[in-house]
Amino acid sequence: METVFGIAVDGVAYGMILFIISVGLSVTLGLMRVVNLAHGAFAMVAGYVASYAAQGLGLPYVAALVVAVLLTVVATLPMEKLLYRRIYGSANELSQVLLTIGLTFVIVACINYLFGPTLKRIPLPDALLGTVSIGPKSIPAHRAFVIGMGAATILGLWWLLERTDFGIKLRAAVDDPNMAAALGIRTERLYMATFALGTGLAALGGVLGAELLPLEPYYAIRYIVLFLAVVAVGGAGSIFGSAAAALALGIVDTAGKYLIPNFGEFFFYAALILILFRWPHGFFHGRAA
Amino acid sequence: MTALLQVEGLSKNFGGLQVSSDITLDLKAGDRCALIGPNGAGKTTFVNLVTGVLAPSAGTIRLDGHDVTTLTAEARVRRGLIRSFQVARLFRSMTVREHLELAILERERKTFRIFASVRRMPGLADEIAGVMDTMGLTAVADTQVGMLAYGQQRLLEIALALALKPKVLILDEPAAGVPHSESHRILDALDRLPADLAVLMIEHDMDLVFRFAKRIVVLAQGRLLCSGTAQEIAADPRVRDVYLGSRAHAHH
Amino acid sequence: MSAVATNHTRHETARGRMTRIAMDGAAVPIMAAFGLAAFWLFPEDLGLMTRIAATALFVLSLDLVLGFGGIATLGQAAMFGTGAYAAGIAAVHWVSDPIALLAIGGVAGGLIALVTGALILHARGLTLLMLTIAVVQIVQEVVNKARDWTGGSDGLSGIDPAPVLGMFRFDMFGRTSYLFALAVLLVGYMVARRIVKSPFGLACRGVKEDQLRIAALGGSPKRYLVALYAIAGVFAGVAGALTAVTSGIVGLDSVSFSWSAEALVMLVLGGTGRLYGAIIGTVAFMTIHHILAATDPFHWMLFIGLFLMAIVLFAPGGITSAFERLFNRVKGGRA
Repeated sequence: METVFGIAVDGVAYGMILFIISVGLSVTLGLMRVVNLAHGAFAMVAGYVASYAAQGLGLPYVAALVVAVLLTVVATLPMEKLLYRRIYGSANELSQVLLTIGLTFVIVACINYLFGPTLKRIPLPDALLGTVSIGPKSIPAHRAFVIGMGAATILGLWWLLERTDFGIKLRAAVDDPNMAAALGIRTERLYMATFALGTGLAALGGVLGAELLPLEPYYAIRYIVLFLAVVAVGGAGSIFGSAAAALALGIVDTAGKYLIPNFGEFFFYAALILILFRWPHGFFHGRAA
Repeated sequence: MTALLQVEGLSKNFGGLQVSSDITLDLKAGDRCALIGPNGAGKTTFVNLVTGVLAPSAGTIRLDGHDVTTLTAEARVRRGLIRSFQVARLFRSMTVREHLELAILERERKTFRIFASVRRMPGLADEIAGVMDTMGLTAVADTQVGMLAYGQQRLLEIALALALKPKVLILDEPAAGVPHSESHRILDALDRLPADLAVLMIEHDMDLVFRFAKRIVVLAQGRLLCSGTAQEIAADPRVRDVYLGSRAHAHH
Repeated sequence: MSAVATNHTRHETARGRMTRIAMDGAAVPIMAAFGLAAFWLFPEDLGLMTRIAATALFVLSLDLVLGFGGIATLGQAAMFGTGAYAAGIAAVHWVSDPIALLAIGGVAGGLIALVTGALILHARGLTLLMLTIAVVQIVQEVVNKARDWTGGSDGLSGIDPAPVLGMFRFDMFGRTSYLFALAVLLVGYMVARRIVKSPFGLACRGVKEDQLRIAALGGSPKRYLVALYAIAGVFAGVAGALTAVTSGIVGLDSVSFSWSAEALVMLVLGGTGRLYGAIIGTVAFMTIHHILAATDPFHWMLFIGLFLMAIVLFAPGGITSAFERLFNRVKGGRA
């Protein structure tokens, strides 16, 4: 029987993974106004690459992680220029949904072809296999690591957006694209960089979260609704919104699964409807999608 | 005679930014009133407040004696408060005829008839033919609006407003952007507006203002500066002050 | 709205419009002719063709909300499934007249649409999309949990409808099923066309383009959208009931997010905003699916995925738009 603490830890860890993956989706939606339903597929690809690197090539965990993130970003970057750039803007919503669903299907089919339909694991290093003590309680080391990485991501993104040149330009472009262009901000470069950032984070989350979101070819389709929910609830373009939404949804979903396992999903979607009904633009009033 | 439109103490602020302050204005039947002011004075904001697109921070709006301050934009339209838009705002994929059909059907509250046929609604075609004839749009009746000349689009805007049988009509820069070769049509249309209609026109073009308006109201920095006849306004030094510097930009 | 949804009228020439109007008028006779021809030419495939007819009605309902109202939804299956289960449950317990069952399905679909539409249609964009997905997932959960009524994940079976109009028995070869479905589709199409050409249809087209403008004409955008959503819900519910009546079973997948997505693909393939695009898209998609059905589901996914991307990148108007352009060119006009 899971304790409240256990549920909380699992919920927060789950929420952190959701955050790390979804925040990229939120930022690309906020900046380029594109609903990227293939975002989950990117996370999945990275997970598979890491799994192969670790199990097939024998690379240690961190190396596999780095390789997976880099490869995924490099592979998807040309797509930004060739595909995504054609469908930016909120007027193209339906085209975006269709194009990115199509891309997701293609990726899912390819992954299945290359790796087969069975679940893939990324073996954790010994350091992450035990437990970590926080005061009187102990948490599985992997969960602690994920929570830590999530917090680091929040802080890192905050620093990136508030304290760096890139961040200032990004925020300006999100707030007022025409003005930003008029001020000489090279929006094309900005889009590429932002896309890379979003995909990189998705990749990171896909690898880190392989224990919580198991890797199998339907991953991309199964979980995209979750990532979209985080973005919708948190408000597109808002880092803190995504964090709050991801944690809230992560905890609600985990609690639902433990406490009322028969109605878990119902609970989640009902909560989603209620939240979106009350806050149609998300918690932190992100840009209306 | 009671005013058709009574605006009292209308104010709007966005956070700390006060865009409209304490505007009070009355329009009676048959009024021809022009609202002028330098760029940024808050004219279009005022129109948005009166028509219900924006919610005021303070003040009341009464239409024909009824308080409409909390009503939606469409509810105000149904009570006879009609506006045209500063930049022609039409349904690009619909034809001129379809626009007028829609306006008249809305006016008659027939738009929820899901099994009726628009083509066969009695009287509709005749009324539309009349309006198009008056506005000189008969030749382009079945052309999609997206393909019309801008002057014709502005004429359609006015035609739509009139088709709704307004009590109070607010025209937001009706001649703006229309090349001189086409603007006479609009001026003619304005001359022929029903006599008992209360009209408020926002304009920058002073020739049009002096020709059209019996009363002029000047807005500056969100406040009502002064109001009066054309001669009074032209002579008022405050008005000249407010326009000094922006006079050079007022004519396009 | 995206190029996919406002494909046909941006800059239509007079000739282009005439082509579209001509195709529109000819649609019902052509559909009837093709439908009957298929009945004689492919007696072995009546089951598939029945499913195509019922699905076409479903996709038609989606065209009403998306093509004519601009509502981007991935939850239309909620209405379809509700109609299917309502008809199925009624058939198993109380009612056996097939037309009554269709009516039950339509009312059920319409009610669900009315209630959920009133709740969610103030939202736009991604939020609205999420809400429609959430609704269909919840309905699926409810259906799944109410095993006693719906059979849960095993599905509902034992639907045994009485003869149509008391005269035409549902025979084991599927002939009655197919002709019944074809008739319902044609009637549904004519009703939909009537609605689209009505004052209501005109107002909805306005709402789709510019809600503020509609408000400035005195119309309430939300009221139109909710009404349209409810009407489309009736169509979807009838389509669901038709599927239940003609196939005898109802499964959980009839109220799933992926079924909504499939309908969307079929509609986009055919072309939105024309009604006959929904029919063409459904026929094309399901025929191809049937031909490739023997292959591995992942091959199908690859094909669909590439296909979707190709449509968006190269032919956003779908089959009908490409065809219209071709037709224009052949007739000598500008495309």
